[in-house]
Amino acid sequence: MQSVQILFANLMAIYRRELQSYFASPFAYVIAGVFWLLSGFFFVAILLGPEGLIAQANFRDQLGMTNPPIDVAAQFVSFFLGTLSSLALFILPVLSMGLYAEERKRGTLELLATSPLTNWIVALGKLLGALTFFVTLLLPMLIYQTIALSAANPPAPFTGLLLGHLGLILLAAAVLSLGMFVSSLTDSTILAAILTFALVLFLWVVDLVGNSLVGPVGAGLKHISLIRNYTNFAQGVFDSSSLVVFLSYVMLGLFLTAQSIEAFRFQRS
Amino acid sequence: MIEVEQLSKVYGSTAAIQEVTFAVEPGEILGFLGPNGAGKTTTMRILTGYLPATSGTAKIAGFDVHENSMAVRQRIGYLPETPPLYPDMTVEGFLHFVARIKGVVAGDRAKQVENALTRCNLLEKRQVLIRKLSKGFKQRVGIAQAIVHDPPVIILDEPTVGLDPRQIIDVRNLIKSLAGDHTIILSTHILPEVSMTCSRVAIINRGRVVATNTPEQLMAELAGETGYELEVEGDIALAQARLAALPGVKTVEPIVDSVEGSGEPSRQKLRLSLVTGTDPGREIAAVVVNSGLGLYEMRRTRVSLEKVFLELTTEEKAIDPETMAAAYERASHRDTEPPILPISVTTDQTTDWAPDRTQSIKSDETPIEDETEASITAEQPSRPEEEP
Repeated sequence: MQSVQILFANLMAIYRRELQSYFASPFAYVIAGVFWLLSGFFFVAILLGPEGLIAQANFRDQLGMTNPPIDVAAQFVSFFLGTLSSLALFILPVLSMGLYAEERKRGTLELLATSPLTNWIVALGKLLGALTFFVTLLLPMLIYQTIALSAANPPAPFTGLLLGHLGLILLAAAVLSLGMFVSSLTDSTILAAILTFALVLFLWVVDLVGNSLVGPVGAGLKHISLIRNYTNFAQGVFDSSSLVVFLSYVMLGLFLTAQSIEAFRFQRS
Repeated sequence: MIEVEQLSKVYGSTAAIQEVTFAVEPGEILGFLGPNGAGKTTTMRILTGYLPATSGTAKIAGFDVHENSMAVRQRIGYLPETPPLYPDMTVEGFLHFVARIKGVVAGDRAKQVENALTRCNLLEKRQVLIRKLSKGFKQRVGIAQAIVHDPPVIILDEPTVGLDPRQIIDVRNLIKSLAGDHTIILSTHILPEVSMTCSRVAIINRGRVVATNTPEQLMAELAGETGYELEVEGDIALAQARLAALPGVKTVEPIVDSVEGSGEPSRQKLRLSLVTGTDPGREIAAVVVNSGLGLYEMRRTRVSLEKVFLELTTEEKAIDPETMAAAYERASHRDTEPPILPISVTTDQTTDWAPDRTQSIKSDETPIEDETEASITAEQPSRPEEEP
């Protein structure tokens, strides 16, 4: 019991420091500003723009097309979440790039490694810190969407919205976890960001490769695709296998990070 | 408190440290003295559990550093070569963070942080971001993070490097004030630092501990170990035999290929080593003169390990690394048995040492003067201390 308390206290210490480092960093505010600007632009464009969903629905109404009926609210959530995930593809590697690379560069890894902390507690605390920062980026967007949905007639259910965001957070956790592992391999934050971006892009589109392959390999590749598993959530469908895939990525990232830090200490000269 | 036995660390084919063995009693300050790359940092990293040893054991407070790593980590404070600081945190926030990850219970944290701030003279900087601190203050924050959880063992890797003389004094006093309650290992390449702060010294070179002793005894041995260099003309063999027969003279060796040789084939330089505590300068001169030899130079010298120390006490940038390595080489070669002082003069001593460096160390002076004096004396011309 007491050891659990200690582990939790350690976790919170790492988590709070990590989160604080984001909020103390002007760089993180630049990221947040860019993210909010772009997602705000897409929000307006998808919903209200000349090619937007409302304009399309009006056009259909004028043509008298009522069959099949379109659910503007659900479509909007799905489209917008798709856009957010694409933005996240660029934002998340930048958020994860410094998690360990900075510690290695500053020498603070030596402090963490000689403190009574286990590697995976440090990794988990860092991951949660980065994830929390990403969630704060999403919060204003969530408010916009809630306002938009509450104006819908007939009233739109919020479950789709919440599931979609759950999916987005899971996706972010998976990407950050892998990005953290990449970050633990190098002293260079830029290199970490580029490698993470490449890795995530590959996992993003791997279902395209899967589509062109037949047999179990193709099917397997489709299952590990990030975008494919995310799309389920974004469309308001809760798929437990997608949940498992995302959580597996998170665990894999944590495990590899802990191993890589251990290996780093064992081999360094 | 700290027991290290036969500790070795091998990177690929190169050994960083080899069979390092020493022990530190509770409350002691052990100084690790050696040139850069001698294995000080590696030894310290193994002690802190940051690196695993290739072979051998190290125990802190009875816990093996590898098998009981967590128990050891709770009991040590560690200042690495570069202080591990988060630039975006305030001094106080950082110390709170360290106290938390070192497992200080919530109730004691504020008190412990306050204590560390006070001890390291950081009270006025507590709300300043670490990134905005000067090098000296950063170093102090580094020491504060090593003591914030009040660990029984403190390991400091070059705690005074890069500080100005005033700060060096402060840090040394701080370290001294920590002794007693804490067992401390610190590494340095500055000899006066060791004599001023440490209760015991381990000299490490090329991965091996070549000597351990108290600084006083070390100094005493060194001060007592003197010799003479003569340049004589005439029957060299006769002179050698007569000089060797003198009471107090241990060995007489010709110096081959002398740097400052006069070029005269009939002249020869001789090196005499003396029995500790004797100084038969008068007799030596008398023997030379009575044997009908010409005496062209007579100069008192010290053993080479002291020269090594002199090199160490001078500013780091003034040291030619190759010279120092060579000097260390000689210093370590001389001890074929378990390398404990006293040191004897041996035959492999060569004359690539500038004779003007043969001045004694004055360990009882303040650090500023100490270091400046060391560098000044290195420039001084040779000054025979005894007239023939």
